[in-house]
Amino acid sequence: MGSRMELIIFLVSAVISAGLSNRIVKESIPTFPNPMLSCIMLWACGYSAATLNDSFLADLDELSDNEDDLLEADNDDAEHMEEDIDGDLADIEALNYDDLDSVSKLQKTQRFTDIMQKVEDALENGSENSTHGIVLEDDPEYQLIVDCNALSVDIENEIVIIHNFIRDKYRLKFPELESLVHHPIDYARVVKQIANEMDLTLVDLEGFLPSAIIMVVSVTASTTSGKPLPEDVLQKTIDACDRALALDSAKKKVLDFVESRMGYIAPNLSAIVGSAVAAKIIGTAGGLSALAKMPACNVQLLGAKKKNLAGFSTATSQFRVGYLEQTEIFQSTPPSLRMRACRLLASKSTLAARVDSTRGDPTGKTGRTLRAEIHKKIEKWQEPPPAKQPKPLPVPDSEPRKKRGGRRLRKMKERYAITDMRKLANRMQFGIPEESSLGDGLGEGYGMLGQAGSGKLRVSVGQSRLAAKVAKKFKDRSYGTSGATSGLTSSLAFTPVQGIELSNPQANQFGGTQSTYFSETGTFSKIKRT
Amino acid sequence: MSYLLPHLHSGWAVDQAILAEEERLVLIRFGHDWDETCMQMDEVLASVAETLKNFAVIYLVDITEVPDFNTMYELYDPSTIMFFFRNKHIMIDLGTGNNNKINWAMKDKQEFIDIVETVYRGARKGRGLVIAPKDYSTKYRY
Repeated sequence: MGSRMELIIFLVSAVISAGLSNRIVKESIPTFPNPMLSCIMLWACGYSAATLNDSFLADLDELSDNEDDLLEADNDDAEHMEEDIDGDLADIEALNYDDLDSVSKLQKTQRFTDIMQKVEDALENGSENSTHGIVLEDDPEYQLIVDCNALSVDIENEIVIIHNFIRDKYRLKFPELESLVHHPIDYARVVKQIANEMDLTLVDLEGFLPSAIIMVVSVTASTTSGKPLPEDVLQKTIDACDRALALDSAKKKVLDFVESRMGYIAPNLSAIVGSAVAAKIIGTAGGLSALAKMPACNVQLLGAKKKNLAGFSTATSQFRVGYLEQTEIFQSTPPSLRMRACRLLASKSTLAARVDSTRGDPTGKTGRTLRAEIHKKIEKWQEPPPAKQPKPLPVPDSEPRKKRGGRRLRKMKERYAITDMRKLANRMQFGIPEESSLGDGLGEGYGMLGQAGSGKLRVSVGQSRLAAKVAKKFKDRSYGTSGATSGLTSSLAFTPVQGIELSNPQANQFGGTQSTYFSETGTFSKIKRT
Repeated sequence: MSYLLPHLHSGWAVDQAILAEEERLVLIRFGHDWDETCMQMDEVLASVAETLKNFAVIYLVDITEVPDFNTMYELYDPSTIMFFFRNKHIMIDLGTGNNNKINWAMKDKQEFIDIVETVYRGARKGRGLVIAPKDYSTKYRY
């Protein structure tokens, strides 16, 4: 017995630890061969065979289906009271997955019945807008609306739980159906309609599903591996379907009520985001005055779900969008602009909520204006940029040419100007042969240079400005000789009188007693022009 | 593309257009809108009209509708372009031998703009004949 138990535990843990996805885990369990299941049943002593099987399934579901866990956790608040009453039995009942009442308790709670009663009364009485004068938060109807918001969220979670229940039961009959019909309510309706019928041509699904899906469903049903359910299981499934549908209609009623009152409580806000979203936002914010005090960036996040992205980018995941993503404006915006639209929506709906909280505009005109503004802005974002006009060419030569001149240019021209000598060398006199470098007109001709009668006795070599500039540059860089001693000089001198004599070479720089042919101290000589 | 450019429907209108324009070059295309060569030319003219509008204005004249200039300017080609500046006809040496006009369809926009700019420069300096930046003697024929 012990080894079998180990085997089962090993099997289950292996499936889970192998990291199989939820779907695989769920689908692999019902396909266990029956003899094996019966082995487990034999080993189980305290529980009935079916119960144990289901408790295993429930455990597996809990382990593998995180989403449901989260939802159930949300629902815990609602169920908390009852669990306390049940006390010790609660644990055992939680395992009893076979029983619908143990998985869905919402419908039996006092809170549910109270609120539903009040909602129905309010819906019957119609809107009584007599409470214009009093403070909104104290209005009992307002309180009811806040309760309704919470309840509608709970109902939604409950429907998901029941949907899981139905799927688990009905999978034996028609395993493919859950992949074909995703919506919980649709699924419940179809299950109820099909029941144990094997030939789907006899079942009229018209009105429950789109005709294309109906065709797919009936084709799949003809090849399905499912078997008809036992009578008692079928009955439970149908009951669960009924309950899901009842919850759905209750939710509709609650939402109808809330929406019908939204036009009265927050006319401007609901003009922008729609009454359903307005109801949710107000409910989550904790009241209209709380919403009015909230900054717009927080309004944007109201109702945002924590998402596990598993390492994927947040760029397209609509990561930071709450209930505002359900608004008609958001949905009609192209995805690339949705984040911007969402920010805009949040800011405008905050403004509207502030107007509403002071009952500044009961007609909702402000809200409609804001809505029109939002629409206009989003449309403007989508406009293409203005077309580029061809730029006309400028008139040719219309502007005077830019000339760089002035002192700088004059200096440069001076520096590179032709010298007097060159000018003379380039000129010839009539009837007088020029002298040339090699004589007899051979070689380079000297032109009028050095000829008598040129009118000038001596051509002065004007100091070239370029040369002056270069000289200055070289001096600045102090190439070697600027006042330094030669490398050959030494302060040691041998004299016949005293042997070694120390002398300062700098001292007789301008002296001349010790100067040799190569000056020891001299720099390049500079001849001053007179 | 001729529908994008202004047409002149009488000899008087042509005269006025040439006379009235003080600062800009006046380009006149003589021909027919339905003519193949004219269509090609008009395509280029229409596309550069906006670019050149600061120093040139382009008009189209139908030589059947307005036959007044046919003998004076010897308009017998399918498409003829002539330049005028301050009521003076500006000749242009294109290397083709006919210095009075461009009598074929130019397909390159930039070449055409270059020619117009050159004509404008020359005309502003008072020249009656300008030399085109490119020689069209062989290009045109072959």
